Amino acid sequence: MIKLTRVFKTFDGGRSFAVNDISLDVAVGETLVLLGSSGCGKTTTLKMINRLIESTKGTIEVNGRDVMDHDPVELRRQIGYVFQGIGLFPHMTVKQNVEIVLRLLGRSSDSRKRRVQELLELVGLNAKDFSTRFPDELSGGQQQRVGVARALAADPAYLLMDEPFGALDALTRESLQQELLALKRRLQKTIIFVTHDIFEALLLGDRIAILHEGYLQQIGTRKDILTSPATKFVRDLFAKPARQLDVFKDHS
Amino acid sequence: MGAEHLISYVAERLPELWLRTGEHLMLTGCSTLAAMFIGVPVGILIFRTTWLRGPVMGVIGILQTIPSLAMLVFLLALLKKIGVLPAIIALIIYALLPIARNTLTGLEEVSAEVMEAAEGIGMQEYQQLMMVRIPLATPVIVAGIRTAAVVGVGIATLSAFIGAGGLGQFINRGLALSNTKLILLGAIPAALLALVVDFSIGAFEWGLRPERKRDKKGSVQSLMRPLAFMLPVAIILTSMVTYFTKPGWVFESATRLETGHRIIRIATKNFTEQLILGEMMAQLIEAKANFMVERRFNLGGTMICHGALVNGEIDLYAEYTGTGLTAILKHEVITDPEEALYHVTKAYHERFDLQWLEPFGFNNTYAITVRAADAAQNGWNTISDLVESAHNLFAGFTAEFAERPDGYPGLRQTYTLQFGEVRDFDPSLMYEAIRKKEVDVICAFATDGRIAKYNLKPLKDDRNFFPPYHAAPVIRTDILKKNPELADVLKLLGGIIDDATMQRLNFEVDAKQRKIAKVVEEFLRAKEIL
Repeated sequence: MIKLTRVFKTFDGGRSFAVNDISLDVAVGETLVLLGSSGCGKTTTLKMINRLIESTKGTIEVNGRDVMDHDPVELRRQIGYVFQGIGLFPHMTVKQNVEIVLRLLGRSSDSRKRRVQELLELVGLNAKDFSTRFPDELSGGQQQRVGVARALAADPAYLLMDEPFGALDALTRESLQQELLALKRRLQKTIIFVTHDIFEALLLGDRIAILHEGYLQQIGTRKDILTSPATKFVRDLFAKPARQLDVFKDHS
Repeated sequence: MGAEHLISYVAERLPELWLRTGEHLMLTGCSTLAAMFIGVPVGILIFRTTWLRGPVMGVIGILQTIPSLAMLVFLLALLKKIGVLPAIIALIIYALLPIARNTLTGLEEVSAEVMEAAEGIGMQEYQQLMMVRIPLATPVIVAGIRTAAVVGVGIATLSAFIGAGGLGQFINRGLALSNTKLILLGAIPAALLALVVDFSIGAFEWGLRPERKRDKKGSVQSLMRPLAFMLPVAIILTSMVTYFTKPGWVFESATRLETGHRIIRIATKNFTEQLILGEMMAQLIEAKANFMVERRFNLGGTMICHGALVNGEIDLYAEYTGTGLTAILKHEVITDPEEALYHVTKAYHERFDLQWLEPFGFNNTYAITVRAADAAQNGWNTISDLVESAHNLFAGFTAEFAERPDGYPGLRQTYTLQFGEVRDFDPSLMYEAIRKKEVDVICAFATDGRIAKYNLKPLKDDRNFFPPYHAAPVIRTDILKKNPELADVLKLLGGIIDDATMQRLNFEVDAKQRKIAKVVEEFLRAKEIL
C-alpha cells in the first residue's frame, strides 16, 4: 500500500506550497484518482511517490517503508509510471521502449522478447506489426498503449498514471479508459491516476481525492463525493456539469 | 592553355599532388579525430557542470578568433618546432568550438519530457546520459564534427606556412610565384576534398540513424550501412598510408645518413626571390660540400623562419639586413649599409648564436616606383621629382609599408611628400594595380621581376631615406663550427648578384614562369661556380 502522512511541498523556499498538508492512503488493488485543475498539486503529489520530486515535509510510505529510505532508482523500477506527454524514447523501437526496464533489471534477451510480445497483446497491439516501429510512426492512442505496456513491463505492484489520456481525442480516450478498467480487473494493480477530467475520475476511481490549490478537499468513493460534498469547492465542481446537462435537457 | 597541356601539367605533378592530398587529409583527419575526443567530453562535462560553461566556451571562443597565421607563429614560439605538430595543434584548436558547442547544444535540446521518463522508469544518471541523452544528441554532435572537418580542410591549407605540407604547399608556392595554375592545383583539390569529407561524415551519420537498425538483411540499405561507417575511416587510413610511405626526404635522408652524408636544412620565406636564394645555396652545397639538403621552403614569413632557425628546426636561410635590424632586433633604422651589416652580425651572434655571412650583393630595399612611360613624360628620375605633382597621384602600398616608420610615414616627412590618395594592397595585387593604372605610384621591392615585366621605373632615393636591405645567408653557429667548409662554399655567392641581376632572375621565374632550379643552375654555371 501507499501512505502519505502530512506531506508538504514548496518550490520557493516556503512562500507558497504546491502541496499543503496532504494525508491519504491507497489500499492494495485499489485505484485512487487524484482530481483537480492544473496547478492544484496532483502531479506533484504523484511525482513525490517515486521521488521524481522530493517532499519538503511529511512522510510517504510504499509497502510500509519511507520512500526516502529507498534507493530512488530501485524504487522507480518497482513502480510503473505512465507519463503525461507519453515520454517514449524516440530513438528506440516499440520493442526497445517496452523492454527498457527489463534491460535495466538485467533480464535475458529471450525472456524480454517473450514479455514484450505478451505486453503488446495485453494493451491491444499486434506484436508482429508494431515491435519494430518507432514512436513517431504510431498514432497518439497507440503511443499511449506502448506507454502503458512499458510501465507494466516489470510487473510492478504499483502503477502511477499522470493524465495518460489527456492529449487523446474523445473516442480514443474512451476506448482506452474501458481497456484500463478491464486491465485493472485482470491485473489487480494498485493504481494512482491523475486527471482533470471529472467523468474519467468517476469512471476509473474506486476512490477519488479532490485537490485544490495544494489542499486536499475531500477523499472518498464516487457516492460519498456526489451525495455529501465536504466543501463548497467540491459541490461546485460537480454541480457545474450537472447544470450544463440541465441546460441541454431544457433545450431538447 | 589547351586541354592537352592542362592534362600534362597535372600529370607531371600527379605524384606530388597525391602526396600533398595525403598530407592534407592526414592533417585534417588527425586533428578532427583528436578534437572529437577532446570536444565531445568537454561538451558533456560543461553540460553537467553548469558553472563551467561560461569560462570554457569563452576560452574556446577566444581561441577561435585568433587569426590562423598568428596562431601558427604563437605555437611555433611555444613548441619550438615547425612542421606537422604545430599545424595539427592549431587545427585541433579551431575544430574544438563547433564540436564542443554542438555537443552542448545537442545534449541541452533533448526534450525534458523524455528525460523525465528516463529518470522516472528508474535509469541511473549515467544510464540516462548513455542510453537516452547522448543517442538523441548524436545527430547534432555529428553535425558539429562535420562542420569542424570541412572547415579544417580549408584551414589546413595554411599549414604549408610552417612546413607541414598539404595542398597549401601548391597554393603557397603559387602565390609566391604569382602562378595561378599552381594556386588552382592546390585550391581545386582542397575544395573537392572538402566535399568528399562532408559526404563521408554525412554517410556515417546516415548509418548511425536508429531506423537503419531494422533494415532487412540483404537489402540495399543494410549493405550500405557498413560501407557508410567505413568511409571516413577508410579515408583517414588511406591518407596515413600515403603520408607514411611518402618517398620524399624522410626516406631519402635516412638512406643518405647511412652512407655518411650529413643533412643541412635550408628554409626560405614565401616569395620568389627567397626561393631563388634558397635554391642557389642548396645547389651549391649539394655540389661542393658533402651534404644532403633538406629544402624546407616557403615558410610563412620572417618570424617563422627566424623562430625555426633559433630553435634549431632549420639551419640556414637568407635574411635582409634591414629586416633583421628593424623586425627582429627592433633596432632603429641604420642607413649606412656597412654599419647595418656590422650591427646585425654582432647582435645576432650575441643574442641568437647565429652567424651572418657575406651578402649576395644586391639591395632589395623599397623603391618608390612609377610606370616608365609616366616617368619619361614627366621627367621623373628621383623621388624628389614627384613632390610637386604628388597630390594628383594615387598611391598603392602594402599594408606594412603604409604603417612602418621606415615606410610611408617617414617618407612623407623626409620628402614633404603627400599623395592624393593612398590605398592598401596585397603585394602581388599592388603590381597588378599599377599595371592596370588603378594607381600611379607603388612601393615596389627594388629587385622584383615585375618591375621589368610591367615596364615600371624605380625612382632614385636621392635623400637616402630607405634603409638598406642587403640579403645574406644566416646560419646557425654550431653548424658552422662543426662544418667550417660551409662558410667557404657559401662565400662563393658573396657579392655576385647585383640589383639588376636579381631583378632578372626574379623576372625569369615570375614573368617567364620558368623552373627555379633551372634558372639557378644556369646562373651558377654562367658564373662558373658550378
